[in-house]
Amino acid sequence: MKVDLIDNNGVTVVSPSGEIDMYSSPELRKQLLTLIKKKTSTIIIALHDVTYIDSSGIATFVEALKRMMPYKGKLKIAEVPESIMRIFNFSKLDKVFEMYESVDDAIKG
Amino acid sequence: MDAAIEVSGLTAYYGSREVLKGLTFGIPRLMTTVVVGGSGCGKTTLLKHLIGLLKPAKGTINVKCGCTSDKCGKDITMMDDAALIEFKKKMGVLFQGAALLNSLSLADNVALPLREHTQLKQPIIDIIVRMKLDLVGLTGFGDYYPAQLSGGMKKRAGIARAMAMDPELLFFDEPSAGLDPVTAAGLDELIISLHKTFKLTLVVVTHELASIFTIADYVIMLDAGNIIFIGTIEELKASPNPKVLAFLQRKAEEEPYRPEDYFKIISGS
Repeated sequence: MKVDLIDNNGVTVVSPSGEIDMYSSPELRKQLLTLIKKKTSTIIIALHDVTYIDSSGIATFVEALKRMMPYKGKLKIAEVPESIMRIFNFSKLDKVFEMYESVDDAIKG
Repeated sequence: MDAAIEVSGLTAYYGSREVLKGLTFGIPRLMTTVVVGGSGCGKTTLLKHLIGLLKPAKGTINVKCGCTSDKCGKDITMMDDAALIEFKKKMGVLFQGAALLNSLSLADNVALPLREHTQLKQPIIDIIVRMKLDLVGLTGFGDYYPAQLSGGMKKRAGIARAMAMDPELLFFDEPSAGLDPVTAAGLDELIISLHKTFKLTLVVVTHELASIFTIADYVIMLDAGNIIFIGTIEELKASPNPKVLAFLQRKAEEEPYRPEDYFKIISGS
């Protein structure tokens, strides 16, 4: 797994690619916690290049959102492949996270 | 058929008694395969071989990754301990008695494989544990100990632990054993739900007729260490094999020996 951080007009877009699993998710967590420590107001996670995500990946997003809530930060998830969307739907997390079809939509939303 | 596991010539003994007699079959990928048969037919012994707990006297068990290569597959009967541990990380097992550790809370039971096999930090493990307990309908029971749970709840907790590492292969040994019909039906519903949601290859050992017809895509029927039927659930229903019919119609087995043979056995003559 590789994680790219992109500044899109002042909004931080985190774009992981490949498989987010029990062995690679700690790296994604490290990147997110660095942003959260700086109290980044909005983080958009773009998942279009993610081929697989397991429970530890979902748990990483849950922990990030929980840590952003006290300072009213926003965690938005965009460009979710269908197979990954099924996992969000099943766990009802699609109702908890702000989900967007595209990064542009997430920036506007 | 795209097989997740290919078994060839699997032969096993307990002492001098041959309990699996050269079994050859495939477990189809992403389907629910049910291994059925009467008590003592070799179902659980077969399962123990498939998960690498027992080594066969003869035969191979190839676990395939799903690629198209002819050489795809690793024979677990030939694996050393380190390779076997790697293989076991990709599978989950619900044992017949759930096999929870009584000295640990449910949360710690579910967390155990994550602590043993990953470098995940505690906050992530805590979230995964809550996710898995919720998955099996045990939200809020993380602090309970196995002794405080009913049989059905223990089985659910066992499934949560089996799912902890997000396995590709999930094995269930008699999931409904010892449960009332309503609880057993609930467990079947859970198995169906897990199968629909996650990309899983399921192998369920059972002798419960209701479960077979509810959860199975594919059926392997054993009798005295031999495969007497292998095919889809529709093919099972249409099978003319008298032993299959007897099992499905819950007919008692015929007397194994004639009265004079029985006399010879018990008189020692």
